[in-house]
Amino acid sequence: MFGKLFATLVKDLLLLWRDRAGLLVLFVMPAVLVVIITLVQNNVYKLMGETAARVILVDQDQGELGKQIIERMSRVEMVTAIAGETISEEMAIDLVAGGDFQAGIIIPAGTTSGMIAEAESEVRSSLTADTPVKKGAAPELRILFDPTVMGGFRSAMQNSLAMVLMEYEVRTKIDLLSRLLPEYVETEMKKSAGNFAEYIKVPPFDLKMSTDPILKVRAASASRDGLAVVPTPVQHNVPAWALFGMFFIVIPMAGSLIKERQEETLSRLMSMPVAYSVILAGKIIAFMLVCCAQFTLIYLLGRFVLPLLGLESFRLGPEWEAALIVVLAASLAATCYGIMLGTICKTYEQASMFGSISVVAASAIGGVMVPVYAMPAIMQKLSVISPIGWGLKAFLNIFIRGGKVSAVTGELSLLLLFSGATAFVAWLIFSRRATTGS
Amino acid sequence: MAATNKEQTIALEASGLVKLYKGCGRPALDGFSIVIREGDIFGLLGPNGAGKTTAISIMSSLLRASRGTVMIFGADTRRQADKVKEMIGLVPQEIALYRQLTARENLRYFGKLYGIKGRALGSRIDECLDFVGLLPKADQLVETYSGGMKRRVNLAVGILHQPKLLFLDEPTVGIDAQSRDMILARLAALNQAGTTMVYTTHYMEEAERLCSEVAIMDSGRVLSQGKPGELMKDGGHDTLQDMFFSLTGRKLRD
Repeated sequence: MFGKLFATLVKDLLLLWRDRAGLLVLFVMPAVLVVIITLVQNNVYKLMGETAARVILVDQDQGELGKQIIERMSRVEMVTAIAGETISEEMAIDLVAGGDFQAGIIIPAGTTSGMIAEAESEVRSSLTADTPVKKGAAPELRILFDPTVMGGFRSAMQNSLAMVLMEYEVRTKIDLLSRLLPEYVETEMKKSAGNFAEYIKVPPFDLKMSTDPILKVRAASASRDGLAVVPTPVQHNVPAWALFGMFFIVIPMAGSLIKERQEETLSRLMSMPVAYSVILAGKIIAFMLVCCAQFTLIYLLGRFVLPLLGLESFRLGPEWEAALIVVLAASLAATCYGIMLGTICKTYEQASMFGSISVVAASAIGGVMVPVYAMPAIMQKLSVISPIGWGLKAFLNIFIRGGKVSAVTGELSLLLLFSGATAFVAWLIFSRRATTGS
Repeated sequence: MAATNKEQTIALEASGLVKLYKGCGRPALDGFSIVIREGDIFGLLGPNGAGKTTAISIMSSLLRASRGTVMIFGADTRRQADKVKEMIGLVPQEIALYRQLTARENLRYFGKLYGIKGRALGSRIDECLDFVGLLPKADQLVETYSGGMKRRVNLAVGILHQPKLLFLDEPTVGIDAQSRDMILARLAALNQAGTTMVYTTHYMEEAERLCSEVAIMDSGRVLSQGKPGELMKDGGHDTLQDMFFSLTGRKLRD
């Protein structure tokens, strides 16, 4: 039996190897898609503020504030001059509006001095209630955004800038307090000291308070084993598009069965002393091997080629055995679906059309193109019926959340159940045909 | 011509075969019965839609009859399908080959499915390809072959495991006279070597030349069965074709 199974496996691999157009669809298509989509999504992540952005700083003030902003917002690339030329406000607006920079910060002239004047007024007012606060001494800073940048990035930029301004303001007020408090104390003490007033001398205060926060927040991705892999386009797209390509195996798989039926090779096979289940098993293993080769190719692309294009390298993580089991389960689901399609469809054209539409639809609702959490509620509910979605969820559990096999048993069970169900439907139809001849 | 001095063992006996296809008003086979003796080349003749391919499919255990039985060398095709499949070979009407494999690769694959292994398989492949005159082109892809060459490989696969009973469903359709002549000569040689054959064709002269016995069928029933010469003599016909028309009529079967 194994000899016959192995012969079928070798025959089908040889036929696939000689079908160059089919190989292009199976290997080149997902490879091209994973590179293009990852590059495109990387830019989207940039617009969302997930990666470093370039910001113009127009410093008309030329005071301490500009230096503080550059120093404190070190995660952002601050550009103050282009080709040695200082950037004007008009230039900044043009460059940001044109998408060359994600944002621009404009510090009007007199901001630092105005802020110090207002802070001093506030400190004096707090010490002597009869001193009014002089509001509006400092002009407003302006922040400009590229119209295409998304809300997350805008909020992050605004909050970062507000933090820097707040920090500078607090430090300025502490410095002012250090200077004004001794003056105030001395004045007040002299008032009530009478003849001894001339002997009262308050030493200067030196309030050296750090502006670094005492209570800190550390952000990290939640993962079961402490491995924090940041969910990046690479970590999402490599398994997603590998699955997409693997499920496209349904078309050559179904095509192979339809061709055998149309050209009567199936009749020849059925007239031979070998169970058709053995032939089918050989075929399934051959196509599953192709699926594994597809996954390996996309993995290698993610690991070695994407970094050459300025993206990070795909991380398989320590649970590669779990990933292998998911690859095998997804491959089995794809090939069994191909068998069902090849049994139901009467022509290659039917299988090709229905196969590609169903795989693209299952990919879309399964979160290959847009993560499931970013979909509308109705689509999120629909995503639970997608075998590609089950496979992707299992992969993301392993690659991003650091899950082991036990963490993906639900998805594995669903994939195996889907394989069994589609194979059963194919068997029912095949048996009915063998009996009725229709 | 068929061997006449063989022991008259029954190679195939089909009794009362009925086949009803879903949605068809009349049965494809309606009480079809034949007996084929070992060593015969049995010609199954009939117009399009007469039920020849259905009969071959049921007799070669590809299709289940609605009623009736088929015994091949004493084995029931339904209950002892595996035993039957060891004894039969099939040359389907279509070129039932993998076109993107070479002739040798096709034969190697089908040979392995018949359980032939190792050197025995290699030498048997060479024998079969030589038999149909394709040994020099054995390593060419089948898709590059002419129609006649494909038909010859189709035959080579059918005889690879040296079956006792060979089913041939219009094995010479659509090929040139030279290829047809060669196939007929090879079939006669195989028969001389002891292979019993069931042969369907639309070419009456082929049946006259090759078959030791013929059955003319229409509407799923056997209308006449016997040796071609005797049938023509009994019916007062000069050719098998005349007899065929007198039994099945000249009306087109579309």
